[in-house]
Amino acid sequence: MIADPEIEIHPHKIIERNKRRENKFNFIKAVLLDIFFVFYSIIVLQRAIYYKFILDLRDLPFSWNEIGIIFLISIVIGILWASTRTSLSSKLFGISRDNSVTKWTVEIFGWFLFNITFIAGWIETKISLVDLFSSEGIQGAQRIFGALFQPELGIFDDALFAIIETIYIALLATLISIPPTLLLSFFTARNLMKDNKISFAVYYVLRIVLNFIRSIEPLIWAIIFSVWVGIGPYAGMIALLVHTIASNAKLYSEAIENIEEGPVEVIAATGANKIQIVWYAVVPQIVLPFLSFTI
Amino acid sequence: MLRCINRLIEPTSGSIKFLGKDITHLKGEELRKIKMQIGMVFQQFNLIKRRSVLTNVITGKLGSISTFDSILEKFDNEIIDEAYKNLETVGIRDKAKERADSLSGGQQQRVAIARSLMQNPKLLLADEPVASLDPATSNSVMQYFEKINKEFGTTVICNLHFLSLVRRYATQVIALKAGEIIYQGFPNEIDETWFKAIYGEEAEEVEIR
Repeated sequence: MIADPEIEIHPHKIIERNKRRENKFNFIKAVLLDIFFVFYSIIVLQRAIYYKFILDLRDLPFSWNEIGIIFLISIVIGILWASTRTSLSSKLFGISRDNSVTKWTVEIFGWFLFNITFIAGWIETKISLVDLFSSEGIQGAQRIFGALFQPELGIFDDALFAIIETIYIALLATLISIPPTLLLSFFTARNLMKDNKISFAVYYVLRIVLNFIRSIEPLIWAIIFSVWVGIGPYAGMIALLVHTIASNAKLYSEAIENIEEGPVEVIAATGANKIQIVWYAVVPQIVLPFLSFTI
Repeated sequence: MLRCINRLIEPTSGSIKFLGKDITHLKGEELRKIKMQIGMVFQQFNLIKRRSVLTNVITGKLGSISTFDSILEKFDNEIIDEAYKNLETVGIRDKAKERADSLSGGQQQRVAIARSLMQNPKLLLADEPVASLDPATSNSVMQYFEKINKEFGTTVICNLHFLSLVRRYATQVIALKAGEIIYQGFPNEIDETWFKAIYGEEAEEVEIR
């Protein structure tokens, strides 16, 4: 027997309530973003442009008090500005008033942010054409490039063995990376893991961990592992291995996400379990891309 | 609606009853047992393209093969014989060793039917099985459905868009529009007005033989 619903639900009321809630949430986000924008622009104006460019100071004065005061000022300005619904971020979140004032403030403030970022970047990186074309510098560069084309043949045999070692390191890292990568790629493919909450949590955690590992350069991993296992080819191999696993697991799992859903549906419809679905519907479709990625 | 019946898509409301049992909220092992008894044939055939026809047919039996055996692709002789027998039923026994994507559309759909027969289904769902086939092949595929229905006593639920096929093969017709049943009855009772009501004013009947 089906129980009668106790309360009659009006869909449009729910939709309206959700919309109001969403607007409130968007407003909070807009205020926070506005505070950040104002804070950012005041800091950039003060430190990069006023101290560095206009006063031409080498060591910038730094105090937490100053930053705190700037932060308080930007909180006040940000809240006031966002509550008039004419700010940049209220436009970004789609809750702004549609009038000419909004149009002007958004346009001007957007350009202002872009320009101060560009100028601050220019000042910070110390771009200078004079340094690029100074005769002294060019001579140094000529020395290096010249040496590239006149190698010292005295260390040729050492270099040859180093090259062979490098090839072995790369080969071994690739070979050992294959089994763990395969295993990981199934657990980081969204379409296989989205069905229940636990597997989705596993998917998310693994994705974050892999992103973290991938964002660290193999060179840095080599430093870490040479402390761990001692300087030498072994450390280099492990460093490459870690990086290869992380980056290939990403490629593999994307290949899995791109498969046709049809066969998966069919195998699921025959009452097969998860492992059988993966083996019969997913694996045949990903063998070729996997091979091309690894080689 | 067909996908709802074997729970590939979750229904938003209502309930599904199969063999006198409510299967709307079944989970895990029980749901797999139910799915094993419901065969399904799709519009796009959905074969595993890189495998042989025989392997494709055997996948229909996966629910009753242990995980370990299925990964090693070690199948009992009985299952292989059954697969050949089912291929025989749809008339393509000689293609068993070929790769599934080397077959023509009609043959692929017949492989799909053989695959669903491996489940010994009580119910066979056919989701527009002839929509991507030419008229002649459509007819032969529909004949196989009829044969299965008559020989094995399997209920076949099939959605079709061609009234001529409906008149020729169907025993009961249900017409849906926007999720509501708007017609239920026998195929020979569908006339012009009903047809217009189902497909809209501009629709005209297309003959297919």
